[in-house]
Amino acid sequence: MNKRLANFKIFLTFAGVSTIAFATVVIVPFIYGIYLTFTNWNGIDNKYEFIGFSNYLSLIKDQVFRDSFLLTLKYVFYTVLFTNLIAFFLAYLLTSGIKGQNLFRIIFFTPNLIGGIVLGFIWQFIFNNALPYFGQQLGIDLFSDSWLASPEKAFWALVIVTVWQYSGYMMMIYIAGFVGIPQDLIEAATIDGAGQFTRLIRIILPLMAPSFTVCLFLSLQRSFMVYDLNLALTKGGPFKSTELVSMHVYNEAFLSQNYGTGQAKAFVLFITVAIITLIQVYLSKKAEVEA
Amino acid sequence: MKFKKLIYGFLSVVVVISLIVGLINWNVNVLATSKNSKKVKITFLSTKGEINSQLQEVFKNFSKDYPNITVELIPVGAGQSPFEKLSTMYASGNAPTLAMIDPSDVIKFKNNFLNLSNEKWVKDAIKGTLDDVTFDGKVFGFPFAIEGYGLIYNKQVIEKAIGKFEPKTIRTRNDLENLFKKLQQKNVTPIVISPLDWSLGAHYLGIAYGAQSRDYKMNKRFIDDLKAKKVDLKKNKVFNDLLDTFDMLRKYNYLKNSPLAGTYEQGAQLLAQGKVAFWFMGNWAWPLITQINPNNKSYGFIPVPITNNPNDFFNNAIVATPSKILCIDIKNNSKQQQEAAKTLLNWFVYNSNGQKNWVYNLNIISPFRNVKITPNDPLAKSIVEYMKAEKTFRPPFALLPSDHWPIVGAYMQKYLAGKMNRQQLLTEIMKYWAKVK
Repeated sequence: MNKRLANFKIFLTFAGVSTIAFATVVIVPFIYGIYLTFTNWNGIDNKYEFIGFSNYLSLIKDQVFRDSFLLTLKYVFYTVLFTNLIAFFLAYLLTSGIKGQNLFRIIFFTPNLIGGIVLGFIWQFIFNNALPYFGQQLGIDLFSDSWLASPEKAFWALVIVTVWQYSGYMMMIYIAGFVGIPQDLIEAATIDGAGQFTRLIRIILPLMAPSFTVCLFLSLQRSFMVYDLNLALTKGGPFKSTELVSMHVYNEAFLSQNYGTGQAKAFVLFITVAIITLIQVYLSKKAEVEA
Repeated sequence: MKFKKLIYGFLSVVVVISLIVGLINWNVNVLATSKNSKKVKITFLSTKGEINSQLQEVFKNFSKDYPNITVELIPVGAGQSPFEKLSTMYASGNAPTLAMIDPSDVIKFKNNFLNLSNEKWVKDAIKGTLDDVTFDGKVFGFPFAIEGYGLIYNKQVIEKAIGKFEPKTIRTRNDLENLFKKLQQKNVTPIVISPLDWSLGAHYLGIAYGAQSRDYKMNKRFIDDLKAKKVDLKKNKVFNDLLDTFDMLRKYNYLKNSPLAGTYEQGAQLLAQGKVAFWFMGNWAWPLITQINPNNKSYGFIPVPITNNPNDFFNNAIVATPSKILCIDIKNNSKQQQEAAKTLLNWFVYNSNGQKNWVYNLNIISPFRNVKITPNDPLAKSIVEYMKAEKTFRPPFALLPSDHWPIVGAYMQKYLAGKMNRQQLLTEIMKYWAKVK
């Protein structure tokens, strides 16, 4: 008993403050938020009623929510795929010892330092003005109109900008993975007669598994939760066709003033992302090997 | 063990002392602001980002007249709605003394606002400007600015192409189309429709709600009927007339081939550079227009014609309405701060210095009869002319839910792009209203 108390004291000394902070700004609001999903609170009134599960029922029936959820899944699929492919390829290139590779690393990483809002506005200009200008001058049909004016192209514009922004960051993690591979293993494989491709598949990729775990998790979670870029680049338009689920939740809660419904949608989103990322981390952990 | 206890003891003493010091400090601060009867500091939430720097200037000038009051500006971030900002400020118990909000937001916060019914300016307000902020006979808001919209014309461009242009001669949809045809023959693109959801959803369709009747109460009733599913918009004359005009306008649209590709800035650019003759927008665009081409001052408004009857009131009237309301908080601000806020409002309306600061520095059309001066820009002047001739009307903006413009605006965008026909558009709008509580 006494030992437990002592342990508890030690815990309080080292982790007490951060635990309290975490509980007050994360845990309590989270639980309170779940509680609010069972009410019809509009976000500002002092009074609200308890309405049971009807928020959840209404979100199942909500066509707009389903559409934006499906769109988000599509967006997540493409961004995660392309971000990691490009990031891995860049990392492979920039650890192979080409000239000026440090400079390139910095250049590719830079988009990550710009906030999503600013980035969105910069690309909005590119898609709205710069590309159509060149498209019209050079007679390229694909670029002669603003990409942000058609639903299909606006979606791809979002994907392109996201990939452009995140692949530099993921590249850094992959580079760390590449650098962390013991050189003697590679040398031994080379002596044993493994070619470049075999080395990549049989040695480098398995040893890189921890980097994949991290990168996939980060890109999955970021893509699911994206809001700033969505807001700055397309604002969900044209005619709400690129409204990703975060933006939909926000609009539901604060613009339509259905805080309860919005919160319920946010909770469903949370559960989905949690399940998907947990599965992903579990599976990729299993694939990891020790050098 | 003893050493450990000593450390624990020491740490707890430090924590307690810092807490006490902090509390005392905080208290001193609070007392200093509330007890010192001479100096008052009030805060002002501004939701008109384009005049924030001018507002700060005006507050300084106000403090010259009232040295014991200082006003601090709190801006609302770009893209953030006034409602959202104010509700977060109330949630954190830190509401501004004066909040500048949209007319539709007043009713949601009215329990937090000071009753202003006994203020002198209530009697001097232009007729109708207090309608949206009066509940149960009590006035809860101060109309801060009148803004209007319609079709902005660039007189220079029109006159260069077809000679003398008299805006008053355009009284029907056909008049306007004939003018457009003439312009087109001279290779001037007649109009640009900026595909913005707020412009199409709130402003353009707003006309349809406001033009149902000249009696504002009837328009309110119309909205109630919409909610009760008692209206068939497909048979509604005003909606159909207005959309007929919309069809005509989009035939001559600069962005005809790619109707959704435009931005707000692009609209101002096209108009100011003379690439189009008309732009559907309001007087808030003036700073941008004049910035692009400072040499041209000959602009004005013509109404969006709804019918082909030249004597129709709405063919000759533009929309002009109080767009921003100032409200005084009673929850988080002291009596003294509330009084200081009232002083600022009265300074705007009755002090000649205040009037000048309000109208000239902030470029605002005052909603009060006794303020005789008007801003120096052609768009505001055009609105004031319409007001003097009593040819303005107000859409029931205060009754439109806050998600009306993004949702219905998106439908209008689809209609503009030809992705939705009129039947579908009107059905969707009816469905939207049926869901509003």
